[in-house]
Amino acid sequence: MGRPLAVDEIILGANAHIFLGKSESKVGDEEYFYGKKYTVAGILESTGIGIDDAGFLTMDSVYDMAKISDKSAVMKLDVKPGDVSAFMVDVKPDATRSEVARRIEVEVPGVAVVTSKELMSSSVASQLDSLMPWLRLIGIVFWVIVVLMIGALFSTIVNERRREIGLLQAVGATRRFIFQLVMLEAMQLTVIGGIVGLAVGAVAILLLKGVVASSVGIAYLWPGSGYVVVFVAGYLVMSIITGILAALYPAIVASRLEPYQAIRTGE
Amino acid sequence: MIELTNATKTYDSGGGLIRAVDDVTLTVRDGEFVAVVGHSGSGKTTLVSLMGGLTKPTSGNIFIGGTDIWTLDNLNLARLRSEKIGFCFQFSSLIPTLNSIDNVRLPASFAGGERGGLERAMSLLETVGVTDKAKAYPAELSGGQQRRVAIARSLVNEPRIMLADEPTGDLDEQTEVDIMKLFQGLNQQGVTIVMVTHSQKLAAQAGRILTMTAGVVAEGIATGDAGV
Repeated sequence: MGRPLAVDEIILGANAHIFLGKSESKVGDEEYFYGKKYTVAGILESTGIGIDDAGFLTMDSVYDMAKISDKSAVMKLDVKPGDVSAFMVDVKPDATRSEVARRIEVEVPGVAVVTSKELMSSSVASQLDSLMPWLRLIGIVFWVIVVLMIGALFSTIVNERRREIGLLQAVGATRRFIFQLVMLEAMQLTVIGGIVGLAVGAVAILLLKGVVASSVGIAYLWPGSGYVVVFVAGYLVMSIITGILAALYPAIVASRLEPYQAIRTGE
Repeated sequence: MIELTNATKTYDSGGGLIRAVDDVTLTVRDGEFVAVVGHSGSGKTTLVSLMGGLTKPTSGNIFIGGTDIWTLDNLNLARLRSEKIGFCFQFSSLIPTLNSIDNVRLPASFAGGERGGLERAMSLLETVGVTDKAKAYPAELSGGQQRRVAIARSLVNEPRIMLADEPTGDLDEQTEVDIMKLFQGLNQQGVTIVMVTHSQKLAAQAGRILTMTAGVVAEGIATGDAGV
């Protein structure tokens, strides 16, 4: 939003409109909660968990809503000024969550701290913990297979283009040029593959995030734009490295072909 | 000047060593028009490939302009092929992903000079009579047109030596006449031409004829040589 929430405004979860008996809610709509009118200031993206059904107000709005609810609402909202059921603490990236939780419990008596990991069901958390090393290993194995497959592909391409390579040398191409030609083509291929992979991955996440979130009870939240930029850049750099490693041997072979032999065997 | 001194090129055919060029010593002087004739498999193509630095002799030396070309590093050898020698092969030698004009300009791009300009490339296509095919890709050209574009390409860097391996093979008679006229014109301008051919009629148009038999070179047409 880029501004503080006003006392007569509310932010709705992605599915809150269902509880209002509507097919959808839009920013600017006016809705009644416990007899008090609020303007919808924003609608959250779907997370797949309970906060999709909730509404978010300022503390003053909640106390005000509770104050008038016994007169204006069917059911009284029992929240007294100063009542708080929970705070959410945004922990800095370099801080240790367990250490922050321990310090809060020590310094604020009577408060129970629950970390985000503990919010997940313990079975999901433990399954993820045990799966991660295997997922990393599978990722590495797949990457090695991809490098070998692209290497085999480029060996075939070089073999099929022997005559073309020989002809290029005959008209003045240096070994370095031939080497760079093969490497550049491999990098182009892997970067295009990387971009397609990113796009397919993003579409898959968009389509399946709700299913995954509801089945394991974990909210899916898009990471910050900085993280996304770093991830995409890292992914593309990895694509280039994959291309370089895969095409290195075929490129060396291509650059060392003798023009006459290359032309004749390619005929 | 092209000089071969005791040049030998052998190949391992799997069934033993083949001496494609066998201890050849010869000199082609600047401005000569030499025809190389002989049976298929007699070593003609290997001989011109040795002359052009496309293959390294198993033994012996190849000199161009007094320089032993196999003492040059890769960069200078590539430059020599690009700037001093024009190649015309017996098959379609155009790069399939480039159109005619870009094929013609290709050697100039390796030479790094200014000879690869559009005007010059068009002028060369005009010289070989395929201006209307400047934007066409090799697959859209007939065999004769491809050969003409290849000749235009071989001339782009104004080489002093033209090595032509059966430049008129499988072409119609008129195209053959046109290409030979072109070579005669180049030779009159001082370009040294070494042309491999099966045709006695074409060989007769050269100033000097070399006959190859089993890798060995002899001056003139060998008596009873059925390959000529």
